[in-house]
Amino acid sequence: MRRRKGLFTQAGLIALSALMLLPFYWVIKTAITNENIYAYPPRLLPHHPHLFNFVDVWYLIPFPRYLLNSLIVSLLVVGANVAFNAMAGYALSKEFPGKGAVLGLLLSSMLVPFQATIIPAYLITAKLGLINSYLGLAFPLLSTIVCIFIFKASFEAVPHSLIDAARVDGLAEWRIIVRILMPLSKAAIATNVILAFIWSWNAFLWPLIITREPAMQTLPLGLARFLSYLEDTTGALYAFAVMVLAPSIFLFLMAQKEFMAGLSSGATKG
Amino acid sequence: MARFSDRAAEPGGWRGAKRVRELLLIACLLLPSLLVFFLYRLLPLLWNVVLSLSYWSPLKPARWAGLDHYQEMLTDEVFWQALGNTLIFIGASPLAIVLALLIALLLNSEVRGRALYRGIVFLSYPLMTVAVGIIWRWMYDERGGIINYALRASGLIAKPIPFLESFEWALPSVILAEVWQVLGFYMIILLTGLQSIPEHLYEAAAIDGAPRRAQFWRITLPLLKPSLFLCAVVGILNSLTSFDLIYIMTNGGPGHATELLITYIYKSGFGQTRFDYAAALTVVQFALLLGLAFVANRAAGGNAGALQQR
Repeated sequence: MRRRKGLFTQAGLIALSALMLLPFYWVIKTAITNENIYAYPPRLLPHHPHLFNFVDVWYLIPFPRYLLNSLIVSLLVVGANVAFNAMAGYALSKEFPGKGAVLGLLLSSMLVPFQATIIPAYLITAKLGLINSYLGLAFPLLSTIVCIFIFKASFEAVPHSLIDAARVDGLAEWRIIVRILMPLSKAAIATNVILAFIWSWNAFLWPLIITREPAMQTLPLGLARFLSYLEDTTGALYAFAVMVLAPSIFLFLMAQKEFMAGLSSGATKG
Repeated sequence: MARFSDRAAEPGGWRGAKRVRELLLIACLLLPSLLVFFLYRLLPLLWNVVLSLSYWSPLKPARWAGLDHYQEMLTDEVFWQALGNTLIFIGASPLAIVLALLIALLLNSEVRGRALYRGIVFLSYPLMTVAVGIIWRWMYDERGGIINYALRASGLIAKPIPFLESFEWALPSVILAEVWQVLGFYMIILLTGLQSIPEHLYEAAAIDGAPRRAQFWRITLPLLKPSLFLCAVVGILNSLTSFDLIYIMTNGGPGHATELLITYIYKSGFGQTRFDYAAALTVVQFALLLGLAFVANRAAGGNAGALQQR
């Protein structure tokens, strides 16, 4: 009886996994074949697989340019997030007048999804003269409230005796952060890097609003533009999709546990 | 912690100077993050409300409009359709959450390969939504899409369905793609919640002879409330911000059959350069968010604060 139930569960989970993986299979199959993609019935297995579509994407459209832009913005966002969130997290692990107000401000800002404020955010960026610039692309994402709290919790878990000992040795405050607290907060840093990378890498609406020319566009915009030019007529479009998904999937396979913990702690994208 | 405030109590002197330096350091450390949140959260929120109450376009000086934009909304059919679609989108998330709960319950047992299954179900969540939209467009395609193929091959339909071009099918189709992407996320939240329920509660219930079904309704579900609340909030937020998927898959069409508030805000603001009207739409959307979050919080027993501790 019990064994039958186990088999049932297994069968259900295998069917579910097949359904979840089907879209990946279908897009990869299309990306590596060059047959008429509208043929009916469609071939279920790839016929004469090849990688020419990937080469096409690299050379026919400014893919390297989109990639470079995406990398620059992601690097800016990841770097700033680790630095700014750690700084704010450290400050909030101390006592100071007005701390309650700052905490209240942060917690209430968490309720405001960034997408809900795009109109004024665009006008502000225009006033700052940052339209169509890397800094403008990265600015709204430079610090993340959830991650500030992750750092705060991590710093508060460091034993006080350790910090006091360092202070007795005459280490300056910022050196205590860099030399003692940060090395002890590797998990918080990993979460921060993963979240910041995923959010900036995948961001679409903000870059769509803030960029004016292809030379400044990031990968998601390039992909959307490619779609509007070619409609669904070529395997290259799907090769493009596979190429932008690859880094996230790779990162996911490398650090699955941190990934799930990070993304569920950053649930509301504070 | 208290020792810093003790020092602050001492007036002037060497220690006072040190305390001032420390406060300065704290201020400098907070400054970058607070600047980002001020410029891109707080200021936009206030500006948005002001903008929604005025006549304004980039080249003209602002004029007071009172509630004119809100009045216009009352007779704006596209607004009502976008609002309705957004509510349908939100309404579909409980179904996804129930499905995720079933999966989480399966994976919470001693089934073999659970880590693998968990990874597979979660895999779609961190992916770029633009690419996900393109994949699903292709799956739904009338001629070469696998969904139509499967339905035709199994004899369920005789003629292919143009899912994303049809008024009846477009919205459910987009919702299904959205569910596919977010399902794994709900599952992880619920799985974490399930694992935090102490085993001895079930043991005690078993000793008392409570059947499994009663254990689920009396123990599992009540203790899962905070996780379910978090899922509900994420479902609401996703529905309100799910711009990428709609933009790629249907761009709100056909007609306005899949228009959401967020896509309509984008079109009004950046398509028709009606920033003031778009701002008013944004205020309505934000009010909707706060209202629904409040209701969800009440339904979860008002202990949403517990989530901050997670």
